[in-house]
Amino acid sequence: MATATKTAPSASMQKKSKGRIVVDWLTTTDHKKIGYLYLITSFIYFLIAGVMALVIRAQLAAPGLEIVQTKEQYNQLFTMHGTIMLLMFATPLFAAFANILMPVQIGAPDVAFPRLNAVAYWFYSFGSFIAVAGFFTPQGAASFGWFAYAPLSSATFSPGLGGDLWVFGLALSGFGTIMGGVNFITTILTMRAPGMTMFRMPIFTWNTLVTSILVIMCFPPLAAALFALGADRRLDAHIFDPANGGPMLWQHLFWFFGHPEVYILALPFFGIVSEIFPVFSRKPIFGYKTLVFATIAIAALSMTVWAHHMYVTGGVLLPFFAFTTMLIAVPTGVKIFNWIGTMWKGSISYETPMLYSLGFLTTFIFGGLTGVILASPTLDFHLSDSYFVVAHFHYVVFGTVVFAMFAGIYFWYPKMTGKMLNERLGKIQFWLLFVGFHATFLIQHWLGVIGMPRRYATYLPEDGFAWMNLVSTAGSAFLAISILPFLWNIYITYKRGVKTTLNDPWGYGRSLEWATESPFPRHNFTSMPRVRSESPAFDLNHPEYAAPEAKADTKKKG
Amino acid sequence: MRRKNAFRWAALPLAATLILVLSGCSSYEFSRGFLPGEPGVTNHTDMIVNFWNGSWIVLWAVGLIAWGLMFYAVIVYRRRKGDNTMPPQMRYNNPIEALFTVVPLVLVIGFFAFTADTMEKIERPVASDINIQVIGKQWSWDFNYLDNNVYETGIQSQFDGELGSEAALPTLYLPVNTSVKIELKSRDVVHSFWVIDFLYKKDTFPGKTNYMYFTPQREGTYKGKCAELCGEYHSMMLFNVKVVSRAEFDSQMAALAAKGNTGLLDDSYDRNQNLPGNGSGSKG
Repeated sequence: MATATKTAPSASMQKKSKGRIVVDWLTTTDHKKIGYLYLITSFIYFLIAGVMALVIRAQLAAPGLEIVQTKEQYNQLFTMHGTIMLLMFATPLFAAFANILMPVQIGAPDVAFPRLNAVAYWFYSFGSFIAVAGFFTPQGAASFGWFAYAPLSSATFSPGLGGDLWVFGLALSGFGTIMGGVNFITTILTMRAPGMTMFRMPIFTWNTLVTSILVIMCFPPLAAALFALGADRRLDAHIFDPANGGPMLWQHLFWFFGHPEVYILALPFFGIVSEIFPVFSRKPIFGYKTLVFATIAIAALSMTVWAHHMYVTGGVLLPFFAFTTMLIAVPTGVKIFNWIGTMWKGSISYETPMLYSLGFLTTFIFGGLTGVILASPTLDFHLSDSYFVVAHFHYVVFGTVVFAMFAGIYFWYPKMTGKMLNERLGKIQFWLLFVGFHATFLIQHWLGVIGMPRRYATYLPEDGFAWMNLVSTAGSAFLAISILPFLWNIYITYKRGVKTTLNDPWGYGRSLEWATESPFPRHNFTSMPRVRSESPAFDLNHPEYAAPEAKADTKKKG
Repeated sequence: MRRKNAFRWAALPLAATLILVLSGCSSYEFSRGFLPGEPGVTNHTDMIVNFWNGSWIVLWAVGLIAWGLMFYAVIVYRRRKGDNTMPPQMRYNNPIEALFTVVPLVLVIGFFAFTADTMEKIERPVASDINIQVIGKQWSWDFNYLDNNVYETGIQSQFDGELGSEAALPTLYLPVNTSVKIELKSRDVVHSFWVIDFLYKKDTFPGKTNYMYFTPQREGTYKGKCAELCGEYHSMMLFNVKVVSRAEFDSQMAALAAKGNTGLLDDSYDRNQNLPGNGSGSKG
């Protein structure tokens, strides 16, 4: 089987000059190439913000350390760590996977607006660079925390160009995200292949649709809020002036964006693992429609819970926001049980993508439990703004985004490059990452409970936080090391990875991307299988186990 | 493959045991769910501790069921060597799906009922025997004792890596077993007033007054910290709370008056009056 089959001749097979390749990438409107640009850029930002996290952890390893010269620099580090991880890594990572996969999964040759797609990427790229470029200014980058509470974020309390670059850079990048959202919605609604009804779309595509709807609902308020903040900073406007309730106004605007934002981070990655569990359990996803409705329910509820970030402000209707927040646990629990149901009575194998998906599930369940605790104002009064919150959101966000990202990269790498990543290195990386992650963040729950506030540059020896912080710092080193086998894996696969000639190298792929060549041909398909269920590739390759609809269809046709 | 599964089974209980052992926790700490403080620090804390423990018991049960089902599936339904059969292609099972929708819904409603009850008790305004104004400022605290017409003004922690810096922190005195009402204000940015053992915090906002109501019931010294990012020395914005007998409280008030700290620190120190474009220059 290792003999090379003849690949379709195409222009891309000819040797291109280096300059030509660069121009190709800079001017591309191909959804896959734009997706790869998103993937590479966001991963670089992941590494940058990860290094910042290591400095933060080093600073906290013992009380009274001065690893960073001033506390202002420490504030810049965690501000930019949060900003980069959320808006320059995780959000564009959604755009990366959606761009690469969603058109293929619905059988489309590209997205609806390819040039808008390119513009969106470059807005994101330049906007993010502008925001991070604050580090190159004399006073350094923004230091008012990633949620930039007024009036701390005003020019009076945070002077300096770094804050301005942060505000306007994020606004620019946010427009890129909005354009991406518009593009994905249009593509999904109008460009599905014949037979691809809404209820036959893969879960990942469903989640891309729902996420994009969230994007166009919550990013415009952020853009408006950022421009208003920019006007306050540069034009002496008084929009967030305390004299007219500005601090509360900012918090409402910011969290009206900020809470749906965390579901923008979560839902696409739920989608990724929803693609992976069935393939390695050799079963269809359990409760497809329930899963779709659960996603819609989560998205709808997520627009109504923003003030749970503001329980301690003394200015929000606690019972309403507590109840809606707790309700989110129900559809989320439904999803968890659907994933378990998918594995139930399956025939499960543990390739690296599956391992990462299980790592996600293990981690996410605990993040869900602490989320329910935080939903209750009674308990949140104590825990709010403590390390318990830091631990909670790393469990849900890192647990979702990073674990599912690696799952997705290992899973679709053969579709993207035509080569499989090394499984042994993948498994080594998984265990390093899994152990490193839990060593870093599990202990932080206790730190928060006994009273360590977040965003503290240091703490007193009398506080009794020292040994827990040391454990967490040691864990973070472990976590950082886990990235090395991954980079090595990419390198050796590039150098001497074996080309796969199979459309579906995992053997039990279900959605349309497994019915086309590896890597994807220029316009995704040279031929398209019949779409008669949510698993067209599986129906094609395993007709005897095909979905009832697909079987009935074959019989009719004779 | 098999050995890795076995290891994964062990990982969580192992981690839990490790944490218990390493923290050297006593059964007392465990009985409080690791929450700080002693029984009855304020009139609210015991209720919070009970609610916290009850919530965790239910949540651990839910979590253990979820993890248990997952690890059960992972181990029992693993693909054996040489097994090439396909499992049954089950797609839906409505009764089970209904079950795992309705049961969490019932749990959530119950959880909400307890939450609504307890938070109402914590937040309810009550008649107070003593009124104190706490003002957050970059990066310390001012305390106005409204009934005694004296004030205390603090500076940020001078912590330099050594033990013993806490003695110099501003200290809020409260008489024991007296119903307290605290007004929370800010002179500049948002801060948050967190007395850790009271298991409660509330933000101090510029341009808005917040309130907290409680009765301290146990004499002692408690650590307080600013919990909302407020600028460079956020982590140095520390304070102490001393709950003392009524007699000692009165003598502290007298000491403040003797120091010349009579009167109250008012809003004229609010830095937001000088925002650019407020015309503060021309008003002169």
